[in-house]
Amino acid sequence: MGEVIVITSGKGGVGKTTATANIGAGLALRGYKVALVDADIGLRNLDVVLGLENRIVYDLVDVAHGHCRLKQALIKDKRFEGLHLLPAAQTKDKTAVKPEQMKEICLQLKEEFDYVIIDCPAGIEQGFKNAIAGAEKAIVVTTPEVSAVRDADRVIGLLEAAELKEPKLVINRLRPKMVRQGDMMTIEDIIEILAVDLLGVIPEDEQIIVTTNRGDTVVQDQRSRSGEAFRNIARRILGEPVPLMDLERDGNLFTRLRKIIGLR
Amino acid sequence: MMLGPEQMASEFRLAKVEDHQTILVQRTLRSGQSIFYAGNVIVLGDVNPGAEIVATGDVIVIGKLKGTVHAGAGGNEGAIVVAFRFEPTQLRIAGHVAQPAEETLPPGKPGLARIVDGAVVIEAFSLTGERKGPPSVLRTLPNAPVVESKARHTGAGAKRRNRGAVSEKAR
Repeated sequence: MGEVIVITSGKGGVGKTTATANIGAGLALRGYKVALVDADIGLRNLDVVLGLENRIVYDLVDVAHGHCRLKQALIKDKRFEGLHLLPAAQTKDKTAVKPEQMKEICLQLKEEFDYVIIDCPAGIEQGFKNAIAGAEKAIVVTTPEVSAVRDADRVIGLLEAAELKEPKLVINRLRPKMVRQGDMMTIEDIIEILAVDLLGVIPEDEQIIVTTNRGDTVVQDQRSRSGEAFRNIARRILGEPVPLMDLERDGNLFTRLRKIIGLR
Repeated sequence: MMLGPEQMASEFRLAKVEDHQTILVQRTLRSGQSIFYAGNVIVLGDVNPGAEIVATGDVIVIGKLKGTVHAGAGGNEGAIVVAFRFEPTQLRIAGHVAQPAEETLPPGKPGLARIVDGAVVIEAFSLTGERKGPPSVLRTLPNAPVVESKARHTGAGAKRRNRGAVSEKAR
C-alpha cells in the first residue's frame, strides 16, 4: 500500500510542478514505483516538464468519467524505471472532476504504486480541493518572498482544516548570497512564520530552467546543486536522516575547478 | 467559535459591553483565518500576518501578534490588546485605527495597547505586571473610517455611539 502526497503552495510560479517532477524522479531513481498525478486540469504542464506530452492518449478526466481504465491513461516515463504520469486534461476545467472521483483514483493508484505524488494547481478553489481530496500527506512549496510565504501560511491553515496535519515545507529558489547580504528572507524567518517541519531547501539554479525547457529533470544531474537538493528531499521522504546541504558551497570541487578554468 | 458575517451582526447587536464572555483559541491563526466574537478573545498561539481577530472586548495573544486585531468592536473604548510579541499589521480599538510605527516598541517584546485621551497608545508590557517606560502614541491613519467599514458588523447602536470618535483625535 503506497502513500499519497500532494504538493501545493497557494501562490503560482513557486515551483510546484518542477518539485513534483524532480521529487518523483528522485524516488524512482531509488527504485520505488511512483505515480505522478497532474491535478491542474485545464492548465496541464507536468507532462511538458517531463517531456511526455506527445504520449498522452487518455487523461485524468477520462479516468474519472470512466471513459478508460486507469492503466490506459498512465504514461510510463522514458528515463526513469518505475516513474509514471497520469496527465491532466487540457480541454476541460477544474469542475470536470469531483473530490470523490479524485479520492477513488488515488485509492486505486496507491494499490499499485509506492508513492503517488499529486501536482496541485495554484489557488485555493475547486482545483485545490480536488488535489488534496485523496492525499494523506502534504508538501508545501514556497519561495523566500513575503507573498509566497503568506500564501503558504494560508494553505497550511486550509490543509490543517482538511485533516492533512503536519505538512512539510520545501523552500525553493533560495539565493544564499542575497540571504547573506540581508536582502532575502532567511530559512529561519520562514520557519518562524510557518511553524512547520522543513523537508528541504533548493538553491536558485539556472540548470532547472535548462532541464525543464528540455522536458528533463535535474535530479539525476550529479553536478547540479538543485539536483542534489532534490535527491536529499527524496531520501528524507524515504525516512533517511539527511542533513541540510551547505548552501554556501558553490558546486563540487570539479564544477568549481571548471568554473575557474572557464569550462562552464 | 467562528461566526459568519450574518451571525456576527446579530451577535454584536446582542452583546452588552459590560458582560463579556471570553473564548480561548488554542491554536495559531494563519493567514486568511479569522475570529469574530462578542466578548474577549485569548489566543494560545500566534496570530500570523493576514489573520484577523474582531472582538467586542479585549484581545490577549499568548504568542506573536502579527495580524490585524480589532478590540472593542462596537465602541468599547476601554478595550485593550495585549500580546507577548507585539507586531500587529494593523490595530483597531473601538473606532480608532492605528499602525504600529517601528520605533514604538522594541521588536519581540510584550506590548499592550489601549486608548488614553482619545488616542491609541502602546506600551511595553512587563510580565511581572509592571508597565515600563512612557507610553508612545501610535501613528494613526488619517481619517480612517473604521466605524463605517465595520458597520455591518457593529449594528446601528454601535454606529451611533462611535460617531465622531474617528482617529483625528489621536494626533
